Amino acid sequence: MSTIAETPPRGQAPRRMRIDGWRWGGRIFLVFMLLYTALPMAWMLITSIKSGFAAMQFPPQWWPDQPTLASYQKLLDPQNSVGQDFLRFFWNSLFVSTATTVLSVIVAVPAAYAFSRFTFPGRNFLFFTVLLRNMFPAVIFLVPLFILMRAIGLVNTHGSLVLTYLTFGLPLAIWLLKGFYDNIPVQLEQAARIDGATRFQAFILIVMPLSTPGIIATAIYSFIGAWNEYIYAYTFLSKNEQLTLPVGIQRFFSENTTDFPGLMAASFMMSVPVVVLFLVLQRYFVRALTEGAVKH
Amino acid sequence: MLRKIWEHRADYAYVLPAIAVMLVVIAYPIYYTIELSFFNTPPGLQLRDKTFIGFNNYTAILTSAVFWKVTWNTLIWTVGSTVISFVLGFAAALALHRDFFGRGVLRAILIIPWVISAVAASYIWKWIYHSDFGIIGAVLVGLGLADRPPNFIDSVSTVLPSLIVVNIWREFPFAMIMMMAGLQTVPEQLLRAAKVDGANAWQRFWHVTFPHLSNVSTVTILLLAVANFNSFIIPWIMTGGGPSNASHIWITHIYELAFGRQRWGVASAYSVLLFIILMTLGYFYVRALSGNDRKDGGA
Repeated sequence: MSTIAETPPRGQAPRRMRIDGWRWGGRIFLVFMLLYTALPMAWMLITSIKSGFAAMQFPPQWWPDQPTLASYQKLLDPQNSVGQDFLRFFWNSLFVSTATTVLSVIVAVPAAYAFSRFTFPGRNFLFFTVLLRNMFPAVIFLVPLFILMRAIGLVNTHGSLVLTYLTFGLPLAIWLLKGFYDNIPVQLEQAARIDGATRFQAFILIVMPLSTPGIIATAIYSFIGAWNEYIYAYTFLSKNEQLTLPVGIQRFFSENTTDFPGLMAASFMMSVPVVVLFLVLQRYFVRALTEGAVKH
Repeated sequence: MLRKIWEHRADYAYVLPAIAVMLVVIAYPIYYTIELSFFNTPPGLQLRDKTFIGFNNYTAILTSAVFWKVTWNTLIWTVGSTVISFVLGFAAALALHRDFFGRGVLRAILIIPWVISAVAASYIWKWIYHSDFGIIGAVLVGLGLADRPPNFIDSVSTVLPSLIVVNIWREFPFAMIMMMAGLQTVPEQLLRAAKVDGANAWQRFWHVTFPHLSNVSTVTILLLAVANFNSFIIPWIMTGGGPSNASHIWITHIYELAFGRQRWGVASAYSVLLFIILMTLGYFYVRALSGNDRKDGGA
């Protein structure tokens, strides 16, 4: 593991040989994992540029004879009924995910800060109640929530999804943010308070700027969670024009079961926003996830 | 006590929004689910016509063959997915720990399956497993390992393992991220000291690295176990629980009972049982987390 072992001269003492063996084992393993991870995604892309006919061949065409972007054009063409639906689903997903993200941050920031800094009676109990929510599957909440949403007139609205995703994402958001606040020295705020700032001012002027990475991370996390959510959207929405992408795609392709290039193209397009978001902000994303579990 | 609460009244303002949302969307559903589980409910959502039947829903569940079948599937699904995801993720984290050319890119690629939607993943793999035009079948036939493409997800014996492969594909990156972060906290001096004392690579891993990661490992395994126990999308989209219940796990089964067959009472009773199981897991989850906190407080 240390740096000394990194460049052992070839063919020396047996102990060094064994270290080399571990290293080669690691490399072979990584190649295997790379294939396991990347091949399905590559196959998705290759299939998406085939014609419907070319996809239905045995043995398959490893690379299409005539690559075509027809599936993508169809999905993105607002004149076409398929394109119309797809673009609407896309817009719906974007709206729901953005609204969820904004609200999550607004609600989670003060809560996480309180759990990190204050000691009030019932603090631990409340915190673990919040965390426990994470343990329960959507199914437990579906029937009662469906009835609740119907009672308050939110069935078939995006509001039902935003409200549910908010609670769905809050526990994790609070936990992640608390990890960040725990790692910001209290002394900074104390210094500000000695200089005459109120607790709230100290929070806004000192803690908020320092926790920006945590907030960005929490926001990405909420966004991706909402973007990919399926079961509530599947249950709460029935009107075609309101569906989000995961449900919309499923509805669409349960009617067109053989259009695999179209399905793969749609899967790809659905993945693009979250993958791009992840790649651009991966540093924050990875840090957020591990901040709570691993203390520095 | 009351005075103490009053003194801290401003503090509660910070958590109030979060707690309020939680109460509406969590406490009420839990109460309602428990109530419904003691009732016989008519199909449709005309739940006013429900009749009280005591524990009948529970006895009906525990004596049905499907229940045991589904429980067994859930066990295989949860344990299989969790253990293999953790081992693969941990191994990948170890292999990626040391810097080498292209490490950042490789790490990013390995994480992508975890980011993309499970619906997309399900469709990708459904196409890969396709019994006529699937790529795995074609490779097996091409290599002479099979006469004709196998029916991975249409056959009772292979469906569950095939779905577990998909699930692991999406989940090992999570274990990898957690363990990579954990590895960064292992003190380099300890490893060097162990090396000076003559410990080989395996001994250093087993006696220094691994014990140091016990907290992260526990949290990761628990989170994976809970996520797997609660999974729905992959089996639902890929097979819908079939063929002949071979890939039904608890959640898909409950969903089908409730929204497919509209047996709300039975589905609620299932949910309560699930709830009890999860509370047990939750107990360990909270203990692992608070263990972490304590350690942090002491440091």
